Amino acid sequence: MSCSEGASERKVASAPAVTPADYHGTVAHVRRITPEQYQNTVHYIFGRDLEVGNPFAPLRRTDGLVAAGAASAGVTTGELQQLQRSASSIAAQVVDKGNIEQKTPSRRDFLVPCKPADPAVADDACAAKFISQTSRLLYRRPLPDARVTELVATAHKGTTDLKDFYAGLGTVLEGMLIDPKVLLIADVVEPDPAHPGKQRLDAYSLASRLSFFLWNAAPDDALLKAAEKGDLFDAKKRAKIVEMMIASPRLEDGVRAFFDDMFGFEDFANLAKDPTAYPMMTGAVIKDAREQTLRTIVEHLLVEKKDYRDLYTTRSTFMSPALATVYQVPTKPGWVPYEFPKDSPRVGLLTQISFLALGAHPARSSPTYRGKALREKMLCQKVPAPPANVDFSALENPAASHRTQRDRVDFHLQNPVCAGCHKITDPMGLVLENFDGAGRFRTTEKGAVIDVTGTLDGKNVDGPAQLGQAMHDHPALTSCLVRRLYSYGTGGPLTRGDNPAIEALNKAFGETGYRVPDLLRMIANSDAFYEVIATPVEQKSADAGAAQSAAAH
Amino acid sequence: MKSMKVWSTGAAGAAMLLASSAMTPSAAETLNIPGLQNGTIGFVLTSSAWGLYQTPDGKAECPEGFNEGPREQFKALYPNGGTVEGTQLERESAARYPMDKEDNFAYREVKGAVGIGMNLDGKVGANDFTSPDGVKGVDNQLYRAIGCTRLFRGPDGTYAHFTEMWVREMGFNRVLVELTGVDSLENDPQVDVTLYRGKDKLITDASGANIIAGGSNRVEDRFSKRFTKTLKGKIENGVLVTAPADLDWVWSVFYDHPGYYGIKQARLQLNLAPAGDRAEGMIAGYTTIDTFYQQLVRAWSTHHSSYGGLSQPSLFRALHRLADGIPDEKGAMTALSSSIQVKFVQSFIEHPDAKVAAVESTTKTTVEPARR
Repeated sequence: MSCSEGASERKVASAPAVTPADYHGTVAHVRRITPEQYQNTVHYIFGRDLEVGNPFAPLRRTDGLVAAGAASAGVTTGELQQLQRSASSIAAQVVDKGNIEQKTPSRRDFLVPCKPADPAVADDACAAKFISQTSRLLYRRPLPDARVTELVATAHKGTTDLKDFYAGLGTVLEGMLIDPKVLLIADVVEPDPAHPGKQRLDAYSLASRLSFFLWNAAPDDALLKAAEKGDLFDAKKRAKIVEMMIASPRLEDGVRAFFDDMFGFEDFANLAKDPTAYPMMTGAVIKDAREQTLRTIVEHLLVEKKDYRDLYTTRSTFMSPALATVYQVPTKPGWVPYEFPKDSPRVGLLTQISFLALGAHPARSSPTYRGKALREKMLCQKVPAPPANVDFSALENPAASHRTQRDRVDFHLQNPVCAGCHKITDPMGLVLENFDGAGRFRTTEKGAVIDVTGTLDGKNVDGPAQLGQAMHDHPALTSCLVRRLYSYGTGGPLTRGDNPAIEALNKAFGETGYRVPDLLRMIANSDAFYEVIATPVEQKSADAGAAQSAAAH
Repeated sequence: MKSMKVWSTGAAGAAMLLASSAMTPSAAETLNIPGLQNGTIGFVLTSSAWGLYQTPDGKAECPEGFNEGPREQFKALYPNGGTVEGTQLERESAARYPMDKEDNFAYREVKGAVGIGMNLDGKVGANDFTSPDGVKGVDNQLYRAIGCTRLFRGPDGTYAHFTEMWVREMGFNRVLVELTGVDSLENDPQVDVTLYRGKDKLITDASGANIIAGGSNRVEDRFSKRFTKTLKGKIENGVLVTAPADLDWVWSVFYDHPGYYGIKQARLQLNLAPAGDRAEGMIAGYTTIDTFYQQLVRAWSTHHSSYGGLSQPSLFRALHRLADGIPDEKGAMTALSSSIQVKFVQSFIEHPDAKVAAVESTTKTTVEPARR
């Protein structure tokens, strides 16, 4: 579905004013495209069957988000080599003539919008058509004519040298795929005519910000057209476009990417459990645990449009055969909706395997990891790192009398050096001790009955259900989501200057009943979303802007 | 495998469990049994092998050695070779029509006194074995017939090896056992035991080597109702036993060739783990010659038989010679007493008429009981 299609008929939700008068906008960023954004973009342009690979190095988590770390990332020489290999592969797939025996399609027939009269001879008109169309989507804005002419000349030379029109085209595409202006998403700014003295993103940068925020991909053709026409600076038209983007199935990609980032699910790539301690923790379980939580979130927030806080008290989720062996419940093949019984201790995201297994050691649970994750990922609170000389011996070789994790972590509280931080993490982590390091339910540990009482910021809780309710009622839960989403959308860590916008969004989010689609809509429509400060680049030249902006950062 | 040892010894094992974990009896009664819901618990077959008692060198049970197979017989019959029709095809024909020609090759039967199985006829006769743990009167004439043929001997006889492997890897031979009306896995005077054919894959653990308990499997009832059979049973000291009944035991041979063994007066005897996650034991009864031999002829080629010293024509005669059950109208025995050693893990069994059990589970007994 195109960006503007049907938008006029669709009811546009009202977007509360969330920009206080004294707010001056976000910092302009240059950020590296993430692997998922790169893949989503390539798939949108050329089709989902293309093998993209993962040529990117991991990003450093910053201010709670990997996406925010993209604003301070570079591209190393080694990474560039990987990118070049990936780009070469993608380009070869795009111009592939296909092979019936190998069952590969002739992609050139439908991805190149014209055919040369002779495939061994250069056809500049056809090359120009392909390069213009493709570059606009890859660079997220039209290239200047002069640059297109240069690329056509490069394709011409490649065709002549290789005696193959498509090979020549492929070399140009390969070059575009690793162009810094493609790999780095630069906020290009311009004076804001509506607010003299202020700066705003230019239309194409705003299109990119919206698209990466809501779809985790580069803008599509319709969104670029809207940018070209200036519709994004018309509040009413932008609201319609945002509404359409929220109604698009691609919103699921965006929401999944955000929560995958916020909850630190990149750690699943390195999650390993001791097969002796947890034989049920197979690769399929680990993969499905991540998927289960993301499905739960999408269903709850986007399909059912429910209160974000209820994710911590809901018994509704989805089940797969692999996960069912850990949850110890019956299921059917594939993913099926699942409702935990009312007297089950499984309540909310904190009792899903994704949270429990990530917050654990390879062979035992960890109240500390779980408490830390709960505070940092979901409440945006900072837990200090342990001192470098911490003594783990009491945990690694616990006394025989220390049968439960509570017995073992109580040791921390006897040591003043440890107690300061462990009082922050352990009291709520211990409430989840009915779940072992794989997330499997248990009532005893080494024969001792597990005590699951604890506290969360002064509130006494007894068991996972009460902890879920305490999370639901915690004021930092929703404000944390607002902070993370705003940071995610604007492409970098928050600054003190963002506080007025955050406070306004917090209030407005509450008034919507904590509906996340409404929050997305409010952020995307707010003036704060496209007003910028401390601009590193103040000109609109698409050709020079990105590179200069990258250099400035 | 300490835990296996504990639970496989029934009542004594339960006592050991209590003692070793210093639990009180009341605590033991509240052992979490996730697989037992509303008095129902299911299991899926993960291992099966004909009950053959084997000593390391085989001399105790096969003092005359092991049987010769197609290669040796071919060499003896056709020392100078011959036409394809007169040699190879003749032997292929003999496998399918074993009574068309005489077969004068010596056939080595089990001569030992120890056998695995049950006392099916309630008698202690001259041909009966004594079980490894001392039970007399064990009937297992199939063991006598095939126990000295390398093909059937574990762990590396090709028949034993592949059938064991295919229980896990193939789809047709997915045997489900569902116990209903269960009050206790330790003692229950009356339970219903129903066998089904399942249709879902088994789930392995992180090592990939073991089938894990707690999976789910759907009953295949579109084409497999013939394999559904309900038996009357009881549980005593953690051991499930069922009353005799005729049934077809689904068995897949050689790359998913669907098949079965007709077992008359079959009965199950399974040691149930207290946690309900495993069960192992045997099924014993009279296996019909027709179904047993048909499995071999349909799916076990001369090529494979040659690797295990199996002459199908010679075996055919032995099966009839040793048959001890289910006489036909003329009084000829048509089946052999036998046993199959089986292992199961707990599996949730999904019935075709059930909606998504997961969604409905709010109405069921909780799997993970609320913390007390």
